[in-house]
Amino acid sequence: MPLDDTILTANNVSKVFGSKAKAVEALREVSFSVARNELCILLGPSGCGKSTLLNIVAGLENPTSGSVSLDGALIHGPSRQRGMVFQGYTSFPWLTVFENVEYGMKLNGVAKPERTERAERFIDLVHLTRFRDAYPNTLSGGMKQRVAIARTLANEPEILLMDEPFGALDAETRWHMQEMLLEIVETTHTTILLVTHDIQEAIFLADKIVFLSANPGRLKTVLDLEFKKGADLKNKEDLIALPGYLECEREITALMRAEAGKSDGDD
Amino acid sequence: MTGTIGQSSTPDNMSGAATSSTAKPFRNAPRQRFFEFKKDIPASWSIILGISVWVLFFGVWEFAVWQQWANEILLPGPTKVLSALYTMFADNGFLNDVLISVGRVMLSFALACAVAIPLGILMGTFRTVDAFFSPFVSAWRYLPAPSFIPLLLMWFGAGDMQKLSLLFIGVIWFLITLIVDHVKSVPADLICTSVTLGGNRWQVLRTVVVPASMPNITVAMRQMLAVSWTYLVIAEITAADAGIGAVMMRAKRFLHVDEIMAGILVIGVLGLLFDFLLRQVHRFAFPYLEGRH
Repeated sequence: MPLDDTILTANNVSKVFGSKAKAVEALREVSFSVARNELCILLGPSGCGKSTLLNIVAGLENPTSGSVSLDGALIHGPSRQRGMVFQGYTSFPWLTVFENVEYGMKLNGVAKPERTERAERFIDLVHLTRFRDAYPNTLSGGMKQRVAIARTLANEPEILLMDEPFGALDAETRWHMQEMLLEIVETTHTTILLVTHDIQEAIFLADKIVFLSANPGRLKTVLDLEFKKGADLKNKEDLIALPGYLECEREITALMRAEAGKSDGDD
Repeated sequence: MTGTIGQSSTPDNMSGAATSSTAKPFRNAPRQRFFEFKKDIPASWSIILGISVWVLFFGVWEFAVWQQWANEILLPGPTKVLSALYTMFADNGFLNDVLISVGRVMLSFALACAVAIPLGILMGTFRTVDAFFSPFVSAWRYLPAPSFIPLLLMWFGAGDMQKLSLLFIGVIWFLITLIVDHVKSVPADLICTSVTLGGNRWQVLRTVVVPASMPNITVAMRQMLAVSWTYLVIAEITAADAGIGAVMMRAKRFLHVDEIMAGILVIGVLGLLFDFLLRQVHRFAFPYLEGRH
């Protein structure tokens, strides 16, 4: 991968929670990078520190040692360059869908005409046009997550961070959301770093999977998903029918099981 | 094969059930029982039941007076109380006293809110502010406000200042504590969302913490306004020349029990009225909460 193509780099990131006596090592010297326009998945068993790693990338937590840089510049604290979508619903209940999507741009002083144009464009993109003026508590869980995605994208981050964004949704809604996310990537070419523990979701979405092992979280392997290259995946069925898919799922499941066995009794 | 048998037998059972239910159409209609665990009741029932309790109350009262269970001076009937209330408003300028009392409650409560809301929001948001103020606030919370009455009387005399400060002391510590709790329960994810969208500290405070906690703060205000009325009466009964409590104490001196009861009635109605008003404020200020339970 050419150097100028890399947008995000994590360098030997370690994280220890608590003080000496009760210190818990969450991450040990994790390094990986994300290329521009890439959809990179952080995958691993529970307790591998993948959410912690994402929080460090977002700037919500500081690494104990190591560093993260975006476009070559070291990151310090959160910024709109690294917008985040959380697992829980984070739509502001007192704002309508439109106002929610507009919110980030308002914080950053985007002028009103541009704000309106961008908000409407991204509301269309996540298929919420009809619900433009609805309050979030009248929406379903999947729709709330779409608001969150539109809100973050409308703010034009360099990279979109997603922490198990579909984890709280039922299976069917989850497929729709995954398919929609691929649609969005196709039109916006956003760079995405997404955390999940769902193997199928990871294979379906990923250009690249960064697999972490547990206790402490370390980089186990990076999977490039060669079998997917060039395939045009519109939905889950396409993926399952793809030669090499089962191989890949089996390989990752085995990795996951090996790690989960190791961390028995923890978490 | 078994599948076909199963299928053929099911419609039979179904039609059997259907015929039996059409034969006796009203047998299966659910009968509303009077005592049902946690079940909703028809609106007409709640209205009738709600009115009956008052009818019963006034009935027993009137009956007790009619039977002369107590000295008539000590227990005047409801009609006598209402006529006393009319005379007080019509001839004795009671409205002025009511307005004085309402004014005292409003002014002291507004002052308490003006301090408690910003302070509570800051304490709930920033641990440092909380660590500084919270030992102080908790200590004051355990001092009963009426114990300050002698001191306040010496400092401010029996005037408005004494009433206002008693009401202020009586309400503010609990108001702060309630607000701090509500602000602390603002989901951290909402704050993190704002921060990763580029929000600075002031923006997060203004656009997330305040709007997220405002509905509950309004509820806390409603609760504490009721307490404020309690302290008003205490303040006016101990020493005052005007106000509802003062009128009631004067009535006591002349054995006008009907006027005392009329005063109690007015305080009750005012309390309900203010509660209703704040409830409406809540409804109109936070329309997005409608329909959520």
